[in-house]
Amino acid sequence: MAKTIIDAHNLSKTYNKKIVPVKAVQNVHIHIEEGEFVALVGPSGSGKSTLLNMIGGLDEPTSGTVIIDGVEITKLPENKLIDFRLHNIGFVFQSFNLIPVLTAKENVGFVLQLQKMSKEEREKRVLDLLHQVGLEDKINSRPGELSGGQQQRVAVARALASIPKIVLADEPTANLDSKSAGNLLDIMAKLNKEEKITFLFSTHDVRVIKKARRVITLVDGKVDSDVQQIPK
Amino acid sequence: MLFQIAWRNIWRNKSRSLVVISSIIIGVWAGIFILSFSWGMYKNNIDETVFKQLSHIQIHHPTFIEENDSKFTISNIDTIVGQLQADNRIASISSRVISTGMISSPTTASGVKIYGIDPLSEVRQIALDESVREGAYFNSGKQNEILIGEKLSKKLKIKLKSKVVLTFTNVQSELVSGAFRVGGIYRSKNISLDEVNVYVQQDHLRELLELKPSESNEIAILVKDEELLDAVKSYSRTVVSKGEIEDWKELSPELGMIIESFNMYTYILTGIILLALTFGIINTMLMSVLERIRELGMLMAIGLNKRKIFLMIMLETFYLTLIGSPLGLLIGWLTVMLLGKIGINISMFSEGLASYGFSSMIYPALDSQNYFIIASMCFLTALLSAIYPAYKALQLNPSEAIRKI
Repeated sequence: MAKTIIDAHNLSKTYNKKIVPVKAVQNVHIHIEEGEFVALVGPSGSGKSTLLNMIGGLDEPTSGTVIIDGVEITKLPENKLIDFRLHNIGFVFQSFNLIPVLTAKENVGFVLQLQKMSKEEREKRVLDLLHQVGLEDKINSRPGELSGGQQQRVAVARALASIPKIVLADEPTANLDSKSAGNLLDIMAKLNKEEKITFLFSTHDVRVIKKARRVITLVDGKVDSDVQQIPK
Repeated sequence: MLFQIAWRNIWRNKSRSLVVISSIIIGVWAGIFILSFSWGMYKNNIDETVFKQLSHIQIHHPTFIEENDSKFTISNIDTIVGQLQADNRIASISSRVISTGMISSPTTASGVKIYGIDPLSEVRQIALDESVREGAYFNSGKQNEILIGEKLSKKLKIKLKSKVVLTFTNVQSELVSGAFRVGGIYRSKNISLDEVNVYVQQDHLRELLELKPSESNEIAILVKDEELLDAVKSYSRTVVSKGEIEDWKELSPELGMIIESFNMYTYILTGIILLALTFGIINTMLMSVLERIRELGMLMAIGLNKRKIFLMIMLETFYLTLIGSPLGLLIGWLTVMLLGKIGINISMFSEGLASYGFSSMIYPALDSQNYFIIASMCFLTALLSAIYPAYKALQLNPSEAIRKI
């Protein structure tokens, strides 16, 4: 039996508590096992990004706990939480969010440098990852010289660089054309399979949802359905 | 890589970085210029006072300065002067007979301080001959020749060769008068003194005052090196045990006050420049931080801790300062070197300045220590200015920052 990698328990988030409270996420329970490829779906404003941010330790829940690989991150002090994210969680953002002054190679290697990996190891890992996402010919290009799809592939490579336990992707295909989106999803699925990294990504893109093996639907901040499916 | 990111970040918006660098250059340059100009100004004033008026050290009878009466003299003047002259730390020495009295022309009269001098000694001592604008410097060989200031000549409405009468009291407290002929008209850098000081032959004044040939009221000493001042003062005390020995700072406390007020003025002005620099850097760096909120949020999300975010922003300012400060120093140094040679003519203000003893030509000067102080101050100001923008970056919540458009 695979171990639980993400355990979100009774998770709630309310914004503007003192003025007009907005309950973004309400009493959500999610258990995700190691190696799963999960889509978090729902209409805009359903709480997908908020839930992802809380699971990634970027946002503090109003109540509830988040346990990642046995560590209750909701109790970690800020510096330890940043360190935990560095070693255990990879992020892919909707709008790529690469460091504009660094090349593709440097962007991917940045996280590894923060982890104090040796130069030789880092070089090897970065080139391997860029090869896996099909950008071996763009290693010295800066984000401004890459297309949206290429930038997002660099972001995926960066998210995977530190060999994280989980990769959280917030609408990774939202700014991509259908070809690039499909391409990216194939890469993510391949890496999930080959590197056994758990993927949790929010989306409302039907093409993306079809690729997931498990789909959790959020409606009004609550889990509406949680189903397993055969990816197409 | 943080150093690399910070370095590359400053060139993302070249014009903005160039504005900050230019502000630092101007800040350093302006600091150097103001300090060097002010220092040039009071160095000029000190030199003028020391080398053209007071000399480094003066020796008087202890009561002379208080009473201002010619009867309080230093005796055995030739022996004392000879002894002091033998000391190789002393550049030149002269003795003076001094009285206060009245100068009268056919039309008016005025109060004056009469210096009985040895013309040759005063050439070495205060280069009095260089100040003569009309006539000649005691070359008639006549005893009754007088050298008066240009301002006094205008006040008395007299010209070269005019006859004037000096009236004063001798050591017996009797009123005596002497007729003199204007042999030269001088103009020094200190107009207010030109209206008061007149110079006559020492022996003649001594006779009129009924002083003995071995008596004088003042001994003026120029030392070879200002750093020897205290040592020469101590030595003079052993030679003239009963004399009141004072250096130029004690003789001219008002000069100290002027220097003090200039110091304050300089610090205030430098402070204003640095304050402007502070706001300039805060504004620019804050813009740079606010423009990158999403990027900073992403960096926090992927594992860059707040200490490193802070360091990165401080590094960006550090680099900008590292470029700006040496350039400012270089331009400042070149300015001081150039203007120190050719001087700055402030003759349009010289009328007012001359009454305080300032020359109309200012030669900016600055020692290396002050260059270092200004550069350090600018460096520190720039880094302190970056603290607020860096602190603002630390306040960001990564999840909110990432969502910022």
